[in-house]
Amino acid sequence: MPAAALPTQAAPSMATAGPASARTSEPGLLPSPASSAAPLPAGQCYLAAARGADPRAITGAALAAIGGIGRFVRAGDDVIVKPNICVDYREPEYAATTNPQVVAALVELCLAAGARRVRVMDMPFAGAPQAAYARSGIAEAAEAAGGIMEIMNPAKYREADVPDGRDLRSVSIYQDLLSADVVVNVPIAKHHSLARLTLGGKNLLGVIERPGLIHANMGQRVADLVSLVRPTVTVIDAVRILIDNGPSGGNLGDVREAYTVIASHDIVAADAYAATLFGLTGDDIPYVRKAAALGLGTLDLSSIDIQELDL
Amino acid sequence: MSPRWLRRLRQISQVVVFLTFVALLARAVAHRPGALWADLFTRLDPLLMIAASLSGRVFLSGLLLAAGVLLLTAALGRVWCGWLCPLGSLLEWLGPRPDRRAGRRASGCHKQPPERWRSAKTLLMVVMLVAALFGTQALSFLDPVTIMNRSLATAIGPALRHAVFAAEAFLYRFDALWVPLDALHRSVVAPLFQGVQPVFEAGVPIALFLAGLVALNWWATRFWCRYLCPLGGLLALVSRRALLRREAAAGCAGCGQCASACPVGTIDPQKGFRSDPAECTVCLDCLPGCTPGSTRFRFRLPERRAAGAWEYDPSRRQVLLAAAAAAAGASLAGVEPVTRRTPARQIRPPGASTRAFDALCTRCGACVRACPTQGLQPCLLEAGFQGWMTPRLVPRLGYCDYGCTACGQVCPTGAIPGLPLDQKRRARIGLAAVDHNRCLPWAYGVACIVCEEACPVPDKAIQLEVVETTGAEGEPVLLQRPTVVQALCIGCGVCEFKCPMGGEAAIRVHAPTEAGL
Repeated sequence: MPAAALPTQAAPSMATAGPASARTSEPGLLPSPASSAAPLPAGQCYLAAARGADPRAITGAALAAIGGIGRFVRAGDDVIVKPNICVDYREPEYAATTNPQVVAALVELCLAAGARRVRVMDMPFAGAPQAAYARSGIAEAAEAAGGIMEIMNPAKYREADVPDGRDLRSVSIYQDLLSADVVVNVPIAKHHSLARLTLGGKNLLGVIERPGLIHANMGQRVADLVSLVRPTVTVIDAVRILIDNGPSGGNLGDVREAYTVIASHDIVAADAYAATLFGLTGDDIPYVRKAAALGLGTLDLSSIDIQELDL
Repeated sequence: MSPRWLRRLRQISQVVVFLTFVALLARAVAHRPGALWADLFTRLDPLLMIAASLSGRVFLSGLLLAAGVLLLTAALGRVWCGWLCPLGSLLEWLGPRPDRRAGRRASGCHKQPPERWRSAKTLLMVVMLVAALFGTQALSFLDPVTIMNRSLATAIGPALRHAVFAAEAFLYRFDALWVPLDALHRSVVAPLFQGVQPVFEAGVPIALFLAGLVALNWWATRFWCRYLCPLGGLLALVSRRALLRREAAAGCAGCGQCASACPVGTIDPQKGFRSDPAECTVCLDCLPGCTPGSTRFRFRLPERRAAGAWEYDPSRRQVLLAAAAAAAGASLAGVEPVTRRTPARQIRPPGASTRAFDALCTRCGACVRACPTQGLQPCLLEAGFQGWMTPRLVPRLGYCDYGCTACGQVCPTGAIPGLPLDQKRRARIGLAAVDHNRCLPWAYGVACIVCEEACPVPDKAIQLEVVETTGAEGEPVLLQRPTVVQALCIGCGVCEFKCPMGGEAAIRVHAPTEAGL
């Protein structure tokens, strides 16, 4: 059951973006007041989508457009990069796991900004973490960039209240996610038969002890989880996207090359933008809609300052 | 070299071999290249290799390694038992202290088992090999290498991991300790234990069996090695002709130090402190206590002739009876229902169905250890008495990982073929079925797609059919219901493992069809 017919290559709005030109969709409008995200510094866009053949380059460009990594990472910070490494049996070309070059680029940027350490972690839902880290290509790329692959330790989950949650009142969560100075959320955009799409919000299931709990009333509970974690910045890997048979895929025929990386401090806006790559809107994804309703970001892409870059 | 140093050398050998054994087993997990060495000790074990070759009607390459052990025994006697065997070492270390032993024997309050029991191990070996000839290795679970593999993999290792993680979880409650604990976990704990906490249905019985062997040490030291070990029985037969033998020489003062030091009790004061080369494990414990000058106990290379008969040597009649018992047992195996129909929940490791699995499997437990999800479990009676301790997949406890070929890599006999990953992914080990009476969407109208989400087959062997049903308030609701596509399902069981129903899953994997689909 395909999630959606995919527009050729990328979102229609991108077709108008000239090479290396920055286009501001609504120059007059600043972020919606409903957003709880950090205030936007002058001269930087709210959300950037960079397109090009080199995953590292477009990751860097997207981050630069939203104000550079220095906007989020300060010298001495403890940084966690949270990619999607869902299984131990898929190589990166199947678009089941986050692109290793995108992860590596982020690790490098954080370290260059003076981060004390940059840890990369996820809890796969099938297979051993070590095997998943290796097969995804993320271990090699992230470690070469200076990152530390952390196998998530069962002793480090703690029950935490979710003060803003509507359904999820408390959850056992990996403590480091809450104590780190910076959390960089790096999902890969892909199909999911219940959530419709796995994007920034759903990527956070990997940091709680029992992700199975989230499968009931998923829309609200993912939104509640977002309200607890509040990642510092969300960088969506849409270099390759999986349009059917997610989350683990396995058919190259289900993979589309969108060559895009989306970055924003606003997880809801980033998810809403990524949904357009699948011919959907943020409103079509229950957890994105509910997260917006909780005031965690904006769904209205016409109200924010978006830069689309072609490299 | 002085006697004391020789003994020290032996103790070092025991420690090194034991640690090697544990290290090989600890490394034998799915994604480690060292997994191939996990079967080294099984291949060195002549009893297992002969039994598996006879039973499976194949020539196993391990026979060559095992022949080396037999040659070593023919030259030096039962050095395997005294210097190398990991179970023998464990039983030696966990036995009573030597001084107390001597004291208890001197006080006369301690009655040793009758000498004729020593033939039990030889007869057990005969039963095992004759049964193997008839195509069953059901008794291979009594081999010391399989006992150690199994005990470490399903009981000692998991219990140790549980203890370490419990201690760690306690210490993690103190925030100040996180930095050193993270470092410790990263460098030691995670590499050593990794993966998930292993759980085994047979873990407690296996631990009790080993505990029983240890407890017997207090009746007679190395009770298992003296009376029961079938591998010891085979090596005893060979070492009757060993070149290196212990000799009691003239000039002995009769102090009896050697007799009380001998851990297998084969030095007999009634026979001038002579010993049986078939029983002696060449441990050399008799040498250091022997007063210099008054005796010349020594090991020497005598002319090539068999040692004399001992009263406990099995008679021809006993050997024939053992062989007859083995034949009877093998015939009785035909009575078990498992020979007519595969038990519903007997799911063998990938590729096993294409081989004479039951005949080839030595019950060594290497696959159980290597399985990264602990889906492979040693059978209790699920596969009949004849399938005791063979591996089966228990999907509710762990699934067959789509990216893993570990069990086929570590199997020492080829009972589980070493399939490359692409072939293993196509190997059908079972078939899943949705229980419409328990499945959340089917039975209760509650949305759930966890099984479909987890299905690793690229085209999804679980499809979601969208139906319109009525909600609690009478409103129309669109619901996705899972259905298994028989042609695609490989029976890996991840759906059953992930099913969020309490207790038994609402989707379960059963034995593959008999239609050859």
